[in-house]
Amino acid sequence: MRLSEVDTTIPTPREPTTAPAVEETGSAAVIPPLITGDKVAGDVTRDVCAPLERPATAMWWCVFIVALSALVVGVVSVGYQIATGIGTWGLNRTVGWAFDITNFVFWVGIGHAGTLISAVLLLFRQKWRTSINRSAEAMTIFAVICAGLYPVIHMGRPWLAFWVFPYPNERGPLWVNFRSALLWDVFAIGTYFTISLLFWYIGLIPDLATIRDRATGLKKKVMGWLALGWDGAARTWARYEVACVLLAALATPLVVSVHSVVSSDFATSTVPGWHTTVFPPYFVIGAIFSGFAMVLTLMLIARKVMNFEDYITKRHIQAMCKVIVFTGSIVGLAYLTELFVAWYSGSIYEQFAFLNRMAGPMAWSYWIMVACNVISPQLLWFKKVRDSIGAVFVLSLLVNVGMWFERFVIIVTSLTRDYLPSSWSGYSPTWIEVGSLVGGFGLFFTLFLLFCRTLPMIAMFEVKAVIRPKADPAPEESP
Amino acid sequence: MTYLPENADFETDPDILLPVEGLAASRRSFLRLAGFGVAAGVLAGCSRAPERRVVTYLEAPDGIVAGRGYRMATTCAGCTASCGVLARCRDGRPIKLEGLPEHPISGGGLCAVGQAEILSLYDGERFDGPRHGGREASWKDADSAISFALSKARKVRLLTETVTSPSTRAVIAGFCDGLADARHTSYDPLSAAAILDAHEATHGRRLLPHYEFHEADVIASFDADFLGTWISPVEYARGYGMGRRPDDRKSMSRHWQFEARMSLTGGRADERLRLAPWEITPALMGLCDMLASKAGRSTPVTGQRTGAPRIDDLRRLADELWEARGRALVVCGSNDTATQTLVNLANHLLGSYGSTIDIARPSLQKRGSDRALAALKRELDAGEVDVLIVAGVNPVYDRGFAGGVGESIAKAKLIVSITGLKNETSSVAHWTCPEPHALETWDDAEPRAGLLSLRQPTVPPLRSARTLRASLSKWSGGGANDRALVEAHWKQNVHPRAGDGVPFRRFFREALHDGFKAASPPPSGAAPFRMEGVQVPETAAAPAAGSMVVVLYPKVSMLDGRHAHNPWLQELADPVSRLAWESYAVLSPTVAGKLGVEKGDVVRLDPEGDAPALELPVHVQPGQHDDVVAVALGYGRDGTDRFADIGPDWWEGEATVAVGGRVGENAAPWLKTVGELTRTDTTVVKISATSVHRELASFQDYHSLEVPKHLAPHHGEVRDAVRTVELEAFRRDPNHAMYGGHHHPTGDLWPDDHVPEGNRWGMVVDLTACTGCSGCVVACQAENNIPVVGRDEVRRHREMSWMRIDRYDLGDGDDVQVSHQPMMCQHCDNAPCESVCPVLATMQSSDGLNQQVYNRCVGTRYCANTCPYKVRRFNWFEYQRHDQLQNLVLNPDVTTRSRGVMEKCSMCVQRIQEARIDARRRGVEVKDGDIKLACQDSCPTQAITFGDLNDPESEVSKKARSARAYRVLEETHVEPAVRYLAQVRNRS
Repeated sequence: MRLSEVDTTIPTPREPTTAPAVEETGSAAVIPPLITGDKVAGDVTRDVCAPLERPATAMWWCVFIVALSALVVGVVSVGYQIATGIGTWGLNRTVGWAFDITNFVFWVGIGHAGTLISAVLLLFRQKWRTSINRSAEAMTIFAVICAGLYPVIHMGRPWLAFWVFPYPNERGPLWVNFRSALLWDVFAIGTYFTISLLFWYIGLIPDLATIRDRATGLKKKVMGWLALGWDGAARTWARYEVACVLLAALATPLVVSVHSVVSSDFATSTVPGWHTTVFPPYFVIGAIFSGFAMVLTLMLIARKVMNFEDYITKRHIQAMCKVIVFTGSIVGLAYLTELFVAWYSGSIYEQFAFLNRMAGPMAWSYWIMVACNVISPQLLWFKKVRDSIGAVFVLSLLVNVGMWFERFVIIVTSLTRDYLPSSWSGYSPTWIEVGSLVGGFGLFFTLFLLFCRTLPMIAMFEVKAVIRPKADPAPEESP
Repeated sequence: MTYLPENADFETDPDILLPVEGLAASRRSFLRLAGFGVAAGVLAGCSRAPERRVVTYLEAPDGIVAGRGYRMATTCAGCTASCGVLARCRDGRPIKLEGLPEHPISGGGLCAVGQAEILSLYDGERFDGPRHGGREASWKDADSAISFALSKARKVRLLTETVTSPSTRAVIAGFCDGLADARHTSYDPLSAAAILDAHEATHGRRLLPHYEFHEADVIASFDADFLGTWISPVEYARGYGMGRRPDDRKSMSRHWQFEARMSLTGGRADERLRLAPWEITPALMGLCDMLASKAGRSTPVTGQRTGAPRIDDLRRLADELWEARGRALVVCGSNDTATQTLVNLANHLLGSYGSTIDIARPSLQKRGSDRALAALKRELDAGEVDVLIVAGVNPVYDRGFAGGVGESIAKAKLIVSITGLKNETSSVAHWTCPEPHALETWDDAEPRAGLLSLRQPTVPPLRSARTLRASLSKWSGGGANDRALVEAHWKQNVHPRAGDGVPFRRFFREALHDGFKAASPPPSGAAPFRMEGVQVPETAAAPAAGSMVVVLYPKVSMLDGRHAHNPWLQELADPVSRLAWESYAVLSPTVAGKLGVEKGDVVRLDPEGDAPALELPVHVQPGQHDDVVAVALGYGRDGTDRFADIGPDWWEGEATVAVGGRVGENAAPWLKTVGELTRTDTTVVKISATSVHRELASFQDYHSLEVPKHLAPHHGEVRDAVRTVELEAFRRDPNHAMYGGHHHPTGDLWPDDHVPEGNRWGMVVDLTACTGCSGCVVACQAENNIPVVGRDEVRRHREMSWMRIDRYDLGDGDDVQVSHQPMMCQHCDNAPCESVCPVLATMQSSDGLNQQVYNRCVGTRYCANTCPYKVRRFNWFEYQRHDQLQNLVLNPDVTTRSRGVMEKCSMCVQRIQEARIDARRRGVEVKDGDIKLACQDSCPTQAITFGDLNDPESEVSKKARSARAYRVLEETHVEPAVRYLAQVRNRS
């Protein structure tokens, strides 16, 4: 038998052998299984590889064309803006950032769920993550790509964007400013993207090998090259596991650090409404909150479109809903903390900034934010709501909207009215600016849809580890 | 910098200025060259195309060193006030105008209009050669045609504004004498004729008195905007400022203002009272009556106080004036002769003549006569005028109302218009003989009897043009050389009066160097006050319910509309409304509320009679009278659609003005002639709201230091960016007045790690002295190559001005106080902008400046966001500079900025460097006062002081130690290098 004919992806757990999962021992009747449909390993391979091996469905094409159109809108908008000037956005002397940095923070936040699911939940040995971690990680990568674009295009002279890197140059003592939070962003986002990409790719290798084994021709060659000669040997698996855990450990602090750094863009400045120490934890939790909402949105679509109902089950949805209601409540607490601190600070500028958010000319955006981020997620306390796919889908979308507005509120309403009343101004976006927002979503979904068609959306080898073995129901050994 | 003793020999070497290759080089390449400071080469024509046309100085003119600046003294022609200016020149062209410190009129001050005059010089739309019926013609043809017409004409009339030039007046006199029936009529578009007529009645001589504001301890102004636009604002502001120095122990003057609209002057007043235009006359009658009874004199208005409005306030005023008699001054802006005789009466009773009013050496800045104009109109209407020469005025526009001379101009058989730029009058003229700009011609002016000011060319003529004087001289058979004409006049008339035995050549050269000469004035011929001259005016009735009275007023930037083609002035934020590129109807908050309109909502104003109705957007102004709507003059000029393509051109951008349209609406048709005098405040209109809204180009949306009530935190209701103190309280306990006893200086947690050791530049802005005139704003624009961005960009709050004058109102209804605060980069020691820039494009210099490095900036705008003062300006677009000729105004010492970079006030670092280099070259230290910033240089009231804070003896250090000194947003601990001195009001 030739090596290639052997199933090289014998289910081997990616994480260290875990404690017996609850559902596999006594309480199976209470807690539904993670994977339904009585799947065996072969079914998993077949089901997950199916979308990659058949022509795209009409549904996929429809969604893809919409996403691609949005991307084209974005490319045209950004192209026009770069050719003409930042003036094509609705910014002014008082409001220097609006959609650009709102989108940036929004997308960085979205990315966080992927890292959390794949790294933190891996370390916490949460088995339910196996069905969604691959997509979540892909989402992270695409979100960080989207996020990274905005700081570049928001520059007045984006063709000089490379000046933010501390590369050796001949400009004498002129280098980058290590005191600037924007520079920290460069490092934070750069590191985050690198680690996320590596982690995702390493996680893909066994599945790439599976595809290689099933493919023929060019695809086989390419996948074989990408799979780095994976042979499925026990030694390979052992080393693989070590690598995964190491990367997970590396990625874990990033969940906290990246958004803390992003929040420093605001916290280290003087603008009332920005200048507050609660920002790092507040931003991190907000990022996880928004990231999970986005994962949920994507998964709910994907399980329907790609027929993955058996793999992304109600249990996954339940779990994610719980994370959302938990983080959403912390976000609500953060909002209250901000208000308290503003009052407690005794600074009239801080106090005004928050009164202005709540009752000023842009109060509508504040209340959209509160309604979507704090109030509506509370419905997820009810199991009935969590069980309703439609309700969860709507709520997850609302969280996305709310979290976008959170950044908008922080950035724009704070800037419109700061210290000197003479400089207070309003803000309204231009169509070009809206185009850049649309383009971000276009890029994200285009990349995600291409991912769905080219790489296994679900980590096959990991799912195989959590399906309930049919033939041999003996419980796994305890550590 | 050196004064150039005499003008370089432009006349024989006309090539030294104009880039010969033409203005064909691309704007970018021009800017780049200019930015690198090689404009010298550019102007000599060698940098652009070195291999084709190399023009160098074979023999350099005396005093001109390529690339080195020099200054030439001359006289401003922005209005008839005739302030002295120094033209800062470079390589044979002026690039900036500054006040001439020694000049007796302006004393170093220069207003916004004067500052902007330099741009008009480089206006590419100025006529080049004469025109006949819209087509180009030669001077020869023009001269022969006009001379022929003059020789055949029975009646020749010359219509000008006040001619301040004595040499021109002499030529005019000669011209009129040489013809059978020729007469010179002058009028002032912003007429002060009633003041002159009133003096004719009371003092027997038609003259404009010279007001000595600095001598006055109590000033009562009835609708005279003497700090903004009235007659000679720079001169008056300077005098006014001298009388208001709260730090001296000498008492600070008291200023009462009675007015219907909120004027620049009214905002500064200690006591400002709203008074409708028709109430001015009865109020003055009442005042005169009160003063007369104090003086125990009988006057024609004895017993007239009963009808006076605001009788209690007038009584207080009368007491104060009487108390200060001999040091009191009453001025009035009304153009009603009888009312002005009452002003004369009041001043006479107060003993002002001889102390605060000088009629022995009267002002000659306004001499126009509305009655003479009416006579000319009658002649025109009768079809008797064969040749009408119109020079320097635009009667078709500014007197184009029913009963005005404007509608009769076309009845002259031959109309000759003498104007540099196309205007409404030249459009109906048969011949147009272009006039040169004041900066490219020889001229003189006599703004006050015995004060002779010279103009000299600072640049060879950019256009083929000829002054009125030269043309008239030519047509009367004389020579057309302006220098010769001026010199001849000075030789004959000035030198004998002022020469002191100095030979004429030397005398004239001194005059050129100094810019002016004092001469013994001829006796003014004014007789002592005659009570019989006082006329009892008719009092007008209040308008019927539902109607309002229009007050037509000149704006600081536009005046009568003569500067409507100047983009700097069009884009200058009006210091009161903070609007630009627009004319609008000013309403009081009460009226706006009643009509249900807000700022920008368009209202329809329908005047009684035949005058056209106008639809204007609303500006709501606290302090405005409830029965009055104010509309600015000077808008709606023909040809202002030249600004259609000013500013960026992009998808969602709006043109500043539609092609074929006009900037603003012309309100001049609403002027009225009452008793042969042009009145600005008698037209009655009906006002109605429309459903249209027009977003105004506003520099400031929120005009109060009080935050909106529903958003006000406890104890945070008012922001203290501007500190206002009352004189009494300040004298009693300065510290308490400033800080209410709650001032806790904050300490620093960290040691100061960047203490400037050599110089530490700093600035002090005196808010008591600042009148808000905005001269500094244009000065900064000129000095620092700040682009004009157009109406749409201003509307989007993307103005580029580095310096702005914030306006805050305090109070509502009757008692509104206005504070103006010049705001520019504060050059913080702990600058928040510096720490946030990722690429170190902004940093602290070793002498305490916050520097912006344009070529390092990548444009993240983080610095602007975090700036608490919001003084940073971003280049949202590549701001167009369409007019290649106008690019000659660019200061070669200052880089022009490309799109995508941040910019802001640099504290004129180029001037600091220039002074340093100069000092180093001479082997000395930079002395206090050697460096003057552009904004500081021309401030009429010297409200801005710049210098070294490390030098305890420097002026700026002394002022920084003043009890009035504070720093804006001190509590943020950014440690700004700019201090403000609190605004002191002398309120009772």
